Amino acid sequence: MTTASNLLAFVGLVVTLAIVWRQSWPGRLRLFAAQSLVLAALAATLGLLAARPRLLLVALVFLVVKAVVIPRVLRRIGAGMPVRPVTPGKSSGVALLVAGVLVVVAYAVMLPVKAATELPTEGAIPLAFAMALIGLFLCVTGRDAFGHILGFLVFENGIFGLALLATYGLPGIVEAGVFLDVLVIVLIMEAVVGEVRREHESIDEQRLRELRE
Amino acid sequence: MIVLLLAVPLAGAAVLTRARGPLAAALHGLTAALTLLLALATAVAVFRTGDLTALDGFLRADALSAWMVALIGLVGAAAAVEAPRYVGDAVARRFYALFHLFVFTMLLAVTTDDIGLMWCAIEGTTLASVFLVNFERTRASLEASYKYLLICSVGIAIAFLGTVLVYFADIQLFGDETYALRWTTLLRLAPGLAPRVVQLAFVFLVVGYGTKAGLAPMHTWLPDAHSEAPAPVSALMSGVLLSVGIYAILRFKPVVDLAAGAAFAGRILLAFGLLSMAVAALFLWTTQNFKRMLAYSSVEHVGLVCVGLGFGGAWGVTGALLHIANHALAKSMLFLLAGRIRAAYDSAEIAAVRGLSRPLPRTGAAFLAGMLALMGLPPFGLFTSEVLIFGAGFREGAAAAAALGLVLLLVAFAGLLRSTQTMLYGAPAGAPPREPSGAWPVVPVTVALGLLLLTGLAWPPGLDDALGRIAKIVAR
Repeated sequence: MTTASNLLAFVGLVVTLAIVWRQSWPGRLRLFAAQSLVLAALAATLGLLAARPRLLLVALVFLVVKAVVIPRVLRRIGAGMPVRPVTPGKSSGVALLVAGVLVVVAYAVMLPVKAATELPTEGAIPLAFAMALIGLFLCVTGRDAFGHILGFLVFENGIFGLALLATYGLPGIVEAGVFLDVLVIVLIMEAVVGEVRREHESIDEQRLRELRE
Repeated sequence: MIVLLLAVPLAGAAVLTRARGPLAAALHGLTAALTLLLALATAVAVFRTGDLTALDGFLRADALSAWMVALIGLVGAAAAVEAPRYVGDAVARRFYALFHLFVFTMLLAVTTDDIGLMWCAIEGTTLASVFLVNFERTRASLEASYKYLLICSVGIAIAFLGTVLVYFADIQLFGDETYALRWTTLLRLAPGLAPRVVQLAFVFLVVGYGTKAGLAPMHTWLPDAHSEAPAPVSALMSGVLLSVGIYAILRFKPVVDLAAGAAFAGRILLAFGLLSMAVAALFLWTTQNFKRMLAYSSVEHVGLVCVGLGFGGAWGVTGALLHIANHALAKSMLFLLAGRIRAAYDSAEIAAVRGLSRPLPRTGAAFLAGMLALMGLPPFGLFTSEVLIFGAGFREGAAAAAALGLVLLLVAFAGLLRSTQTMLYGAPAGAPPREPSGAWPVVPVTVALGLLLLTGLAWPPGLDDALGRIAKIVAR
């Protein structure tokens, strides 16, 4: 179980780093779907190895919501955007460096958590937390609405991974509430972003700068 | 009782999605009135007889819940009275339905015993209110609602991270999943939880729920959302939604105190509180827009509440709780008045409404009274709660922090006074108001001012006892 969880969490982190590295939005979207797939696999594996049948259901719902439905909505949000950023901005080198630092930070922050548990999955906990931190970083530095939402979703995935590894998933009602919440957030985001696009003919963050002191 | 309290706004919202025309307005009024009645009845029942529970303990109202329920009921009713002025017939049912859904999510957040469900409910407050913020469909309100949704979603996700960590610490001691996330369970187990994990969780929880509460530096969405939303929505958001964020932190505080020692949570809250007061004091001097001014003042008061909780002790906690209520009353009333002023002048710029007390004498007088209350002058309740909070600082041996807080309070006070003076008595701006009738929201303003005088001058019988009971829940 330790090997399986470590391996899957590691693959998840590599995919997350690839999201940081990629510039084209359809590519990042595919990578996000891949990350969700890895986490669904993680949930299913834990469900089988730790004999928690409920986790199989969680894995299935997660797969449908995060790897199928949400990527579709994201594709609608991104539609019409140039595939790569028009202004050749920062290269992803610096971003990758920051992401690397965040992995180290994640290990440091999660020390007390690792110290408090004997679970076979404890080794992978910092990896999941690193995914969350990198997601937060992507969200904060996103250049357009698509980038913000993608970062938020990667963050959310990281927390899901952490919950899986540290507690084998939360109680059913909370888990259901979280899935519903994420779905509704993304749908509302789509509506809001659609309106932003109609108003500004772009979802570039630079256009959303009217409300400043 | 709790089930009924939650069912009324939810059912009202559901029915209102189908209603139209005058029927919608009538249903809206009925739902709001029933919600208020049930909220007050719940509060009275809790303070008279003790905690209420329902659905196998899933819903639970203790003294702290009752305090919040009463506030949500009062501010909700005040906002509901003003709502019909802001909605056209075409969109009325959508507005009313979302309005009551918003009230429902707040009531659910403060009456559930389950941390996970509370998290979902607080997230729900964002989802229900985001379209209300963008109700006027201007560019600015669109941008405000985008920022609101994004920042608060990220914040609430951080709070979820904290919740996961609490659950992690908890489930190792307590095997049963269904009851592991109950406050009652958590408090019982708290002394045995891993202290470092709980501390880490609390940091995430304060940052996360602090985002919803408008604590600096996570407050950046707040002035935009609160100033762009229609006035009744601003009143609800500033008056009680921020306090719901504080409520979540309040619930976790005793757990952290028991698990990791009393000083840790207090220090964090004190730091965030003072920072919020400093940021707000600064922006109260620079803002040119009176709705934004009120919004920054909310940041200041949320900071003040956290400072009180950080000082701790009986005075600090009582003062903070009383301050939550006082601020809710004063700020919601001011937002409703600001909405009237904005409608009359068609502008929310301070410069555009200069000298408004001449054409709008009654609105001006009410606004002045509200502002004086907000600045913390006697005889209003905010004076009492601020004295309690800073008294606690000096009593609990945090004199330096208390002195810093008083200086920041003074800076904010002066900024507010300057803007108020310009708005009310400045040289009149050119264009006369569109609505010179002098209409003002009589009922909500009178009720709010009356209650503020009560908490300021003569505490009604039972208030002391009620605050004492809540303080026992928060400070163990």
